[in-house]
Amino acid sequence: MTIASTATSVAGEGVAAARPGRRPRPPRRYTPQARYAPLWLLTPAGIVIAALIVAPIVFLVFTSFTDFNQRTLFTGEFSFVGLDQYTKTIASPQFWWSTLLTLGFTAALVIGSLVIGVGVAELMTRLGTVMRYVVTIVLIFAWGMPNVASSQVWNWLFQPGYGVINWMLTQLRIFGDVTNLSWANNTFLALLCIWMLVVWQAVPFIALTTYAAQTQIDTSMLEAARIDGASEPRIYFTLVLNYLKPTILLVTVLSIIWDFNVFNQIWLVTQGGPNNTTATLGIWTYLTAFNTFKIGTGAAISVITTIMLMIISGFYIRSLLRSGEDL
Amino acid sequence: MSTITTASSSSTAAATAGAPPVRPRRRRRPRHGWATAIAIVFSVIWIFPVYWMVNTAFKPRPEVMTTTPHFLPLNPTFDNFIVAITQTSFLTNLQNSIIVVVSAVVFALALSLFASAALSRFRFRGRRAIMVLILAVQMLPGTALLIPQFLIFNNLGLLNSFFGLSLAYVAAVLPFAIWTLRGFFITIPVELEEAAMMDGAGTWRILRSILFPLVVPGVISTSIFAFISAWNEYILAYTFMKEQAMYTLPIWLVSFSSPVTGTDYGGQMAASVLFALPVVVFFLIIQRHLVAGMSAGAVKG
Repeated sequence: MTIASTATSVAGEGVAAARPGRRPRPPRRYTPQARYAPLWLLTPAGIVIAALIVAPIVFLVFTSFTDFNQRTLFTGEFSFVGLDQYTKTIASPQFWWSTLLTLGFTAALVIGSLVIGVGVAELMTRLGTVMRYVVTIVLIFAWGMPNVASSQVWNWLFQPGYGVINWMLTQLRIFGDVTNLSWANNTFLALLCIWMLVVWQAVPFIALTTYAAQTQIDTSMLEAARIDGASEPRIYFTLVLNYLKPTILLVTVLSIIWDFNVFNQIWLVTQGGPNNTTATLGIWTYLTAFNTFKIGTGAAISVITTIMLMIISGFYIRSLLRSGEDL
Repeated sequence: MSTITTASSSSTAAATAGAPPVRPRRRRRPRHGWATAIAIVFSVIWIFPVYWMVNTAFKPRPEVMTTTPHFLPLNPTFDNFIVAITQTSFLTNLQNSIIVVVSAVVFALALSLFASAALSRFRFRGRRAIMVLILAVQMLPGTALLIPQFLIFNNLGLLNSFFGLSLAYVAAVLPFAIWTLRGFFITIPVELEEAAMMDGAGTWRILRSILFPLVVPGVISTSIFAFISAWNEYILAYTFMKEQAMYTLPIWLVSFSSPVTGTDYGGQMAASVLFALPVVVFFLIIQRHLVAGMSAGAVKG
């Protein structure tokens, strides 16, 4: 951390703070105590972040250039292999499958939860008090469930033999007798099952946030459009969604980051199986590093994943900085 | 919706009084019966997994696995809960969870209180860089920290220990806590600080007597979010803790199998209820503040 060099220039800050849109601050008389205050205040957290986050990340990159494996854990012996881990990773078909799967599955999750979430928010504006309250409570139940618990519930709902979902599908008499259908053993069905699980838990945050934003819309505007004879769908798609744009953008970015990192649900439903076909980058990294103990390879995959995610979330950070948010 | 009822009742009252009908100030969108219908279907689908979990948890063992599922337990019983609590390591693992999570949250919150004060009430060179760093580390994929922390803790002999897991949770929670608490600090008016400065209060005095007391609500809500995310954390604990006596509750829940038979779904659902209940109840209590709090924190789930 470079805090030491940073706290000294406080005197010039009156100028720096006078940017438009920022509340100008009166110049302070800085006692030596106040000059170094930020330094003292930041040091404890700085040390912890440096030791527990920054140093490990540096160590991760270091590890990705070595052949760290199970033997190393006991003996501490390892050797440098240069870019070998990276070339091996990129040459492996599993890497490309996992990358495509992660990107595709993230897109499917984000689209699914956004469409349903924003739809539910709109639905809530059209309900009476009681029904809206019911929907809110239902959403909070789904939201509050720890994902470890909900994954267990999913395993039980979709259990081959006695799972209630298979029973219901059999009753529909469209798919024939699917009582013993094993969702986790079929790549597509396993992904569908996990998709439902993640979307089920993602919708509440999106719906409630969007609904909160939607109640802030000035209704006289919609009223005017209605008097001019605009149809309800037209009003929704042209006016309401336009008002909701900033909120939807925020939840989209957050959903992308969260869904890209989905781990527990996939791990607890399929462990990446069958044959690693449901292994997203995160799952595959874990399997490589902790099941086969090719830690060096796992580190390389992890570095690549981190770079991918940083590129994606970089847009978010940049737009935050651009929007004049007072960081 | 209270506006609707007041508007319509006032207009009918006006009509009966013979006065010209008062036009309600705001005309509402027409309410559709189909909206309620969709809402009912949606609610039934969305609550079903929770309902099924509770339903299964209260079923006696023979009723859990039947070819035609029962939608209500015929003979509701607490047996599954009693088995889950008494015949497993539930109490030990609950204690472990509390030790690890509480110590991590307290430590992280203490550090973040000072750090976020520095990042919100002072301006200094490098502040933006620190904020971007804090934002960026929250977006790291889970395994990026898991692998090196595992290796480092392995060397230091911190695996399979509460201290090690607690440190890992501090690392997971601290950036989020700093970011969120900073949002609360920013809302405190500068004038308060200036007034205190006029009265001759030093930096430390201002922090201790003015800023810290005012930010207590923020500390509480940040602790709650930090607590819940550490409470639900699975993969770090699963990787670090290798003995059943050291497990936290999420691992207990996943490794749940009754001593009597193999996978006992009744018991597992009862365990899920036990584990999820405190968190869900908490969400229900604080539901009004949920959205605001989440958007303030904005990054960590």
